[in-house]
Formats: sequence, structure tokens, C-alpha cells
Amino acid sequence: MMPRSVSGAGTASRAAGERLVAHVLLACTAVAVVALAAVLAVLVREAGLFFADVSPWRFLSEITWAPAAAEPRFGVLPLLVGTVQIAAGAAVFALPAGLMTAVYLDQYAGGRTARLLSGVTALMAGVPTVVYGLFALHFVTPALRVLWPGIEAFNALSACMVVGLMILPTVVVLSREALESVPAPLLDAGLALGAPKGRVVTRVLLPAASGGVLAAVLIAMARAVGETMIVTLAAGNESRLTWSPFEGLQTLTAFLTELGMGDAATGTREFQAFFAVGAVLFVGTYGIHMAGRMLVSRSVGRTGS
Amino acid sequence: MTRPPSRRDPVGTACRVAAIALLVVFLVFTAYLGYTASQVVNIDFLREASSGVAVSAGIGPALAGTIWLLLLTAVLALPIGIGTAIYLEEYAPRTRVTAVIESVAANLAGIPSVIYGIVGLALFVRALGMGPSILAGGCTLAVLALPVVIVSSRTAIRGVPEGLRLAAYGLGATRWQVVRNQILPAAGPGILAGCCAAFTRTAGAAAPLLVLGTATFMSFAPQTPAHPLTSLPTQIFAWATRSQEEFAALAAGAALLLLLLLLAMNLVGALVVRRLNGASR
Repeated sequence: MMPRSVSGAGTASRAAGERLVAHVLLACTAVAVVALAAVLAVLVREAGLFFADVSPWRFLSEITWAPAAAEPRFGVLPLLVGTVQIAAGAAVFALPAGLMTAVYLDQYAGGRTARLLSGVTALMAGVPTVVYGLFALHFVTPALRVLWPGIEAFNALSACMVVGLMILPTVVVLSREALESVPAPLLDAGLALGAPKGRVVTRVLLPAASGGVLAAVLIAMARAVGETMIVTLAAGNESRLTWSPFEGLQTLTAFLTELGMGDAATGTREFQAFFAVGAVLFVGTYGIHMAGRMLVSRSVGRTGS
Repeated sequence: MTRPPSRRDPVGTACRVAAIALLVVFLVFTAYLGYTASQVVNIDFLREASSGVAVSAGIGPALAGTIWLLLLTAVLALPIGIGTAIYLEEYAPRTRVTAVIESVAANLAGIPSVIYGIVGLALFVRALGMGPSILAGGCTLAVLALPVVIVSSRTAIRGVPEGLRLAAYGLGATRWQVVRNQILPAAGPGILAGCCAAFTRTAGAAAPLLVLGTATFMSFAPQTPAHPLTSLPTQIFAWATRSQEEFAALAAGAALLLLLLLLAMNLVGALVVRRLNGASR
């Protein structure tokens, strides 16, 4: 960069301009902090009002969730279990496949194959989740029905598979970063000792990258827990406790979309229930995400030193 | 390091199979979308309003709604987000407060977008009386995009070599001169890439808008931000929930258009990033 020529303005007016810019930037920061604090404040306030009415113990121990019923029941377990089921199912589909693809990209793929595969991964990462939801409901579910005719129109299996597809790029990209940070001499030493390549991958590469890979898994899981459109479209929106992947269920996120379809008035307990569920979801994903980020910074710091 | 897997390398074979499976699934996904969409996409589809009658339905209003939402997010979130990043990195003293702001912003970028929806409903639609309008949607999406813009801009600014700053200060440059002439040109590509990521998140967001309450049958394109909220992603959702095949085809058509819009946006972004990178070298 060529330095710009010093303008002819006097020092006094330049100092005033400097102060103005600093104030404008400070104002930007203040607006941003207020906006983000408002998000937290609204969640805490409404959830607080809810828990003043309904004890957290009842919230966590009852097994029926029917906030809009004539006799409302506020047992969050069906939603919580549904969320865990979807995330675990998605993990089954996405984690092994994603990690193996990352190893392939890092260790086996040639330059052109690697570029093609990373391009496809980047494209997949940019697909809005509502589009994946459409795919789940109108392609995956009918395809599953060919295999299992008894499967319900809304079912957890289809949602798990497509949420897995949705988090796959996250797993691939983040684990590949972790694998790339492993120093090459470590692997060369293994190969030089005569270990077969596959053994070097499982005994040297993966253990050395385990911190970063775990972080990738956590961040992908936070996304699966927070996924809304795929589960709303594919798994339906009826809360129930079920272990069958062929039946529909409701997750925390899917319940939240009901706020836009119903007309819960501000100040009612039904309205506040949405924020109680939102607070649970917030705490869960915030925690998982923070743990993941801490692992990333730790593993980066370790290989950097 | 790039030898093909030998026959005696089961790990390599398994990894290769996983990579091929990923490609196959992607091909199936694009083939499904392309085939289904090909049944409805024509020029009328782009112009017509959505309708309860599948044959005459189009996505004009939804497309206009998404463009409005992107404009509002750009006006609201980008200047505030980038300004915040500059202030925190170049002006504010490093204290515990700035560390907390940074950590909270980074984690807020990772929470589900539907949470921004319920907060937006309580705050913008109800408390501030905006109703389920495009303005309320734009404000909600701006708050959603804000952490992403702040975090990526800070990362880009932090990546500027310290020597550049010190040299400029050493020559007597003022703080703003350093930011304007050194930091922003050097960090520009990174900041822009972050803005593209934020835009992709905004344009594809369905869940938060669904919570605000969206109009799914709109007979004319929105002219002002006070118009009822409509957007491509929520229109896709509305059509996807109908069981008739015709509506699934409409949803696929709208989805294809949304994907092309995102792709075009990111390609332009990538080209500008490349040009900026070339110019600063």
C-alpha cells in the first residue's frame, strides 16, 4: 500500500475528526452490545417469569408437554429427549463418514480430487436448511417408505439422516483443519519405521489430532441440536416420548416455530413457555459451542508451540 | 502424502468409500432438486405471485421480500458489526470487558437461529409494535448476523501484521489514518468474506422468520419495509408442508432459485476478495 499524502487540513480540525471517528465507532459498539444484551435480557426475563409460575423441577420431571391445552402441562422431557434422539441419530450418519472423508482429503486424495471434494463440501455447507427439509420430506421419506411401508409420514429416521447430511460439511471441514495441524514429520517417522499407512492414520494421525476432531464433533453437535427446519418438516410437530425411529417426534427447536403459527398473547404462561424452552436450548448449544471453541484454541495453541 | 491407497490399506479404502458416498449423496440431492424444479420453472414462475392454485403460483413477492431483508441486514448489521470490530481491536484498551464481549459474540454466532426468532417476536413485533412486517424481519436477521460480522471482522483485523501498524504510527499517522490506510485495506478481504457468510445465513434463514409470523399467500410484491413479511425460505417451507406433488415442485423451484441467488452472491464475493488480495500485494 502506498501511504496517502498528508492532507492540508489544520491539526485542530484533524484532531476533531479523529475524535468524531472514535465516537462513531464507540457508538457502533454500544449499539451492538445493547442489541446482543437485549437478546439475553428478553430470554432471561420471559423464562424467569415462567419459572416463577412453574417450578423447574416440574418442568424437568413431568413427561407431558401440552402448553396450549385447556389444562396445560409443562413437562419438557419429550422435547429434550426428542432433541437428543435427533442429534444422536444424525451423529451416527455424519460423524464416521465425515471423519473418514476428512482423512481421505488430508492423506489420500490427489490435488484435483481434493479440490472437487472441498468444493462440493463448501456447496453443501451453504445450502439453507429449509431446502434440506424439503429433500427430507419429499425424497428421503418416500424412499424409506419403499423399504419400510409401515413408516409414518413424519418420522425421526428421515430427520436424522438429513440432519446428518446437513452437519456433514461442518465435520469434514473442521476435522480436516485438525488433521492438517498435525506436523508431517510425525507421520513420516511412523512410515519410516515401516508401519503401513492405515496404521499411521489410526495410531499417529488421529490421536495427535484428537483434540481438534473432538472440537469439530462438538460444534457439529451444537448445529444438530439447534437444527430447526429439517426436523419441523420431516419429523412433524407432535410431542411424544418414543423410541421408534419410524414415528414422528418434536424437538425443542421445532416447538419454538409453533410460536409463529399459534397466537399466544404476550404475558400468558403459554407465551413464556416458549422462552423457557428457548432458554434450555440456549444454555445447551451455548455450552457445547463454548466447549468446542475452547478445545480448538487449546489444540491450536499446543501445535503452535 | 498423496499416493493412492494400496490394496492392503483397509483404512484408506474405507476413507475413499466415505468420500465417494458423500459425492453420491450430493449428486442425488442436486438431481432431486433439479428434476423436481424443472417441472415448474419458467418465466411466469418468477413473475407471478404465490397462489393457492398450484398451476398459477409464482415467487415474485417472496423473492422481493428476501431482497428487502438482505438490504435491511446490510444497512443495519454491516456498519455496526464492522465498526464494533474496529473499535474493539484498534481503539478499546484490552480489558476483561472486551474479552467478555468477544467471547459472548463468538458463542452467540453458534446458537440456533430460531432463538433469535422468538426474541425478535417479543421485541420487534410485539414490544416495539412493528407487527409481522419486513422491517421486523430485517431487524431480527440483523441481530442474527451481527455476531457473525463482529467475529469474522475481528479475526481479519487481528490478522494484519503488527509491523504495518507500528510502521504507520512511527511515521506519525493518527489512529484513524492507520485504520483507514493500513488496517482496512489489509483486512478488507477477510472482512468481506465474513460479510458473505453473514449474508448466506441471512438469506437462507427460515426458522426465525417463521416464528415472527409470515404471510405465505401474497398477491403483490412488497413495496416498503412495512409490508407483511415474506421471503423465499418461508415460502419454500409453506409449499413443502402441502402434501400435493404440485406444491413440492413449486418448493423445489423456489429452492433452486434461492440456491442460485446464494451461489451468485458468494461468487461475486469471492471474486472481489481475490481482486482485493491481488491489489494489496
